[in-house]
Amino acid sequence: MRIEESRCDILILGSGGAGLFAALHAAKADPALDIVIAVKGLLGKSGCTRMVQGGYNVALAAEDSIERHFMDTIVGGKWLPRQDLAWRLCVGAVERVRELENEIGCFFDRNPDGSLHQKAFAGQSFDRTAHKGDLTGIEIINRLMEQVRSRAVRRLEEHRAIELIPAADGSGLAGVLLIDIRMGEYRFVRAKAVLLATGAGPTMYLYHTPSGDKTCDGLAMALRLGLALRDMEMVQFHPTGLLGGPHTRMTGTVLEEGLRGAGGHILNGGKERFLAGYDPAGERATRDVVSRGIYAEMRAGRTTPMGGVYISMGHLGAEKVAGMFPGMVKRCADCGFDLAGGLVEVVPTAHYMMGGVEFEIDASTAVPGLFAAGEDCGGVHGANRLGGNGVANSTVYGGIAGDSMAAFVGREGVWRDPDNSVIEAGIARAERPFGQAPGDLAGLRDRLAQVMWDDVGVIRDALGIERGLAGIADCRAALLAQGVVDGDRRFNLTWHDWLNLESLLDLSEVVGRAALARDDSRGAHFRADFPETGVLETSAYTRIRRDGDELRLDTAPVAFDIVEPGQSLIEGAAGAPPAEAAIGSAA
Amino acid sequence: MAEGTLEVRIWRGGDEGAFGAYAVPARENQTVLDVVTEVQRRFEPSLAYRFSCRVGVCGSCAMTINGTPRWTCRTHVKRVAPEGRLTIEPLRNMKRVKDLACDMDGFLGKWASVGTFEGTATRADPPAAIDPASPARREVDAAIQCINCAVCHAACDVVAWDPHYLGPAALNRAWTLYNDARVADRRAVLDGALQPGGCHTCHSHGACTEHCPVGLSPTASIAGLKRAGLVSLLKGGRS
Repeated sequence: MRIEESRCDILILGSGGAGLFAALHAAKADPALDIVIAVKGLLGKSGCTRMVQGGYNVALAAEDSIERHFMDTIVGGKWLPRQDLAWRLCVGAVERVRELENEIGCFFDRNPDGSLHQKAFAGQSFDRTAHKGDLTGIEIINRLMEQVRSRAVRRLEEHRAIELIPAADGSGLAGVLLIDIRMGEYRFVRAKAVLLATGAGPTMYLYHTPSGDKTCDGLAMALRLGLALRDMEMVQFHPTGLLGGPHTRMTGTVLEEGLRGAGGHILNGGKERFLAGYDPAGERATRDVVSRGIYAEMRAGRTTPMGGVYISMGHLGAEKVAGMFPGMVKRCADCGFDLAGGLVEVVPTAHYMMGGVEFEIDASTAVPGLFAAGEDCGGVHGANRLGGNGVANSTVYGGIAGDSMAAFVGREGVWRDPDNSVIEAGIARAERPFGQAPGDLAGLRDRLAQVMWDDVGVIRDALGIERGLAGIADCRAALLAQGVVDGDRRFNLTWHDWLNLESLLDLSEVVGRAALARDDSRGAHFRADFPETGVLETSAYTRIRRDGDELRLDTAPVAFDIVEPGQSLIEGAAGAPPAEAAIGSAA
Repeated sequence: MAEGTLEVRIWRGGDEGAFGAYAVPARENQTVLDVVTEVQRRFEPSLAYRFSCRVGVCGSCAMTINGTPRWTCRTHVKRVAPEGRLTIEPLRNMKRVKDLACDMDGFLGKWASVGTFEGTATRADPPAAIDPASPARREVDAAIQCINCAVCHAACDVVAWDPHYLGPAALNRAWTLYNDARVADRRAVLDGALQPGGCHTCHSHGACTEHCPVGLSPTASIAGLKRAGLVSLLKGGRS
């Protein structure tokens, strides 16, 4: 087996907000560093930062404060976030937005007086979401992409990481094994520091929002390396994903939250509103509440022809809707749906993983030389992520990771000798499908997606999760017995579909195990058999690591080192964060 | 439900190659990307194509559909193939990688060469106060939401003739930079756009604007650069 070997100082996996910021910060800290970004697709074109519609939460206004942003994050996360990480997020967002504006060249929308416009967003006590129309992510990533391309950062595009390779002596990380997708060959890159910023993504569900290239590969590699993943039961579902049937990739993609905020109605198959029966706030309740209401209605069988519910905007006036949401209306029209005046079928859709690799406030992990940032990480958001805190998380911690890696390389960076047995095992795993008879991979992925949706989805119970874990095991057995035609390995998407599914199976099992262990309902995790939230004061988080072929789960108490349940950093009711705030208007 | 079968021809190979022919079921909700996906899953496991976001944001999935460059994730089959016939090729004006995937590096490199922001303020400063209604800012807003899908680049005959031409997307970005009050040296941005292969290479055919899937007008942006170049020449500036 031919393996190209190369070296660099810093290897970054992923080119979303975290990966690109890490590259810029590391290059600025030490321009002599040899920095490489490896990405599964094209630089700046893969991943989900680019897809951000809403915006960026940042306490900039004089009447707002870090404390308020922090309290909203903690309360929204149902007291499960690691508080020092959440605090660092809120502090860092201020600097990062200024950096985006002044150094990177992003332009956020302005008020008439020239100051940044900040809009209302779900679950927040202050209008603090900076944005560029409803396409904030494009602005952020295009500008970052230009900056990175204009620096001496090397790119390994269409390179898929398949294994984090530890040092032979156990002293840390030696590098990363990748597949050059275009060439269909293996490549081992030795690096003094590596950033895991591949963006997780709950695409193992029947309906999901993330980009098609996301399949939890980074988390699967971290698990194999022995790192602990926390809060993995916490999968956020967005209530309104487009439903176009099973044969189109547009199914599951997000129709934005603002539609409900502006007064959109959700109707069941009988064309009746029903959400008020689940929560007094009706359509304007938070994502998790609306998702559960819609899911319950679907389970009761009151569905549209394709098995979802309708979103209806027409009562607001088709012309007005088209003016307020031009992007959404055009997208639906391109796909054959009339959002402004008609009914569009929607369904809750898996959006974001709050859980991920345990990491430190400097973006380091338990393995020396390995850093992590963005959606691959757990602990910042706890049980729920506020809209607008996702892009803040990836950019704040991506930048921190760049600073930390540059310092680490200067201080103690060495090329460690790799554990060749792990390289060999990684190649053997990737080679496995070529030795076997091909089968229906897409059908198998659909099967896993249905299992996760039915049994480990929006509403869970012990019986269902156990059934789901059995279903996952069946899917794994089927995958391991199934192959891919060998021959032209260059840009062979079916080979990568096989590898994608393997990563998704690994993480599906982790989500299921964590969901089974959490016997209370909070945030994104709802157990029909334990519908109450447990005692906040003794909150604990789940932690899963792999030990041989077994997953080991334990729980650890949340440290309330900044604020305790029942307390607030904000004086007076006016400044208190909303306990269950309804979503804001679309303004 | 849509009835019948689509007759689909897809380019296999690189510069040299041939079309493969496939019969794909027509469906009610079906984009061109869905057709390509179905061919890969059912008939051609090694078929190469590129996509990411599925919603017209990443600009990865553009191809040539029945002779016209388009994003495929948001192109409904019924709109472009009423007779049920689809010929799908890679975008032109870029090196081909394999099948439907091409190398966007040259395109994005040209973009970054004239389209990278350099300001004067730092992260220690508050964001600049900018009147959103100012004429310059309105020019930026009209042109900024480009997804770099390269559809304009593929549609442009001048790009096909002249490999040194920066192309509509890069020049459109230069125009937004030129109008950005925060840019340290706007004159240098203009000089970049006026260099050989820059805005004066454009023949104003308007194919870029005609094909832009997000409704931008690179033609107008390039005309703006030409005007700005002329004004600066008349004022006796560098050129």
